[in-house]
Amino acid sequence: MKNLVVLLFAFISISAFSQTKLSTTSSHIKFFSSTPAEDIEANNYKAIGVIKPDIGSIVFSIPMQSFEFEKALMQKHFNTEKFLHTKAFPKSKFKGTITNITSIDFDKDGTYVADVTGFLTIRGVTKEISEKFNIVVKDGTVTGTTEFPIVLADYGIAFKEGKPSTNLAKTIKVTAKFNFTKISA
Amino acid sequence: MKSKILKIIAVIILGVIGYVAYLWFMPHRNIQATKAYATIDATALVNEFLADAQKSNDLYLDTEGESKVLIITGTVASISKDQLGQQVILLKKPADKMGVSCTFTLESNSQAEGLKIGDQVNIKGVIRSGAEYDEDLDLTENVIVEKSAIVQ
Repeated sequence: MKNLVVLLFAFISISAFSQTKLSTTSSHIKFFSSTPAEDIEANNYKAIGVIKPDIGSIVFSIPMQSFEFEKALMQKHFNTEKFLHTKAFPKSKFKGTITNITSIDFDKDGTYVADVTGFLTIRGVTKEISEKFNIVVKDGTVTGTTEFPIVLADYGIAFKEGKPSTNLAKTIKVTAKFNFTKISA
Repeated sequence: MKSKILKIIAVIILGVIGYVAYLWFMPHRNIQATKAYATIDATALVNEFLADAQKSNDLYLDTEGESKVLIITGTVASISKDQLGQQVILLKKPADKMGVSCTFTLESNSQAEGLKIGDQVNIKGVIRSGAEYDEDLDLTENVIVEKSAIVQ
């Protein structure tokens, strides 16, 4: 009888864990381009994402028209067909897996480095990427940060002439910070 | 004759400099000063995107990012702040899966501070992206509206 109770408790615990997911609507994604001509920065606070610890999945969706630039003209150029074509491709998405999910305890305070592999889709072009995702668990809150380069030509964005060819870097730096909330489904 | 030519050249040069300066210092669009394209219920807007995302993107989004300014009517379902400290009001009926997420600005934040869950409001802002349930990603995505302010 005692063993049955222990088994039942373990089953309930596993079930509860497997149904928990981490959701975020609190985000900040920044991209930074640096050339001798000028530095360009854009910020976006509207990305959302979900981590499912039971299967190790991690996904994000980024509304592209929410990127804001200091200069209005740059923001217009960013959205046009030649650049991100945001009318036709209003969202960029990432779908991946945390390959070392078993080494991350979202219920225990600590700093973890997640190995993430997956597919990033920008402007309708999908590429496989592998990056580190730093996770901090503290007092019940979960924060994730990352920083990685994006080669614009990989996503069909390339300028051979004109101002963008000299003022926009071929590789831009992306930094992101997400505050996650635990949700029991 | 020579001085006349010089004057014309000077006017052209000044014109070019003026145009470049205008492009460089062009202000961002003032959303609240822009006439709203339509007044629409939050549920109706969500349903338009769920019924035909392509058609809705064509209608509401702009090639240069200067997308439609809308007045959204709806029920306050949640109140939060984003990482910049901007108020975010979700307009959604309890029975709906998705709603319209309206982000205020640091300047218009105070308008949202008095709101309570369940309040009926009209919020004016610019649409950034539509609603979507991405089964593959298991993501429920609200309509995103930014540069918001409360209107009568």
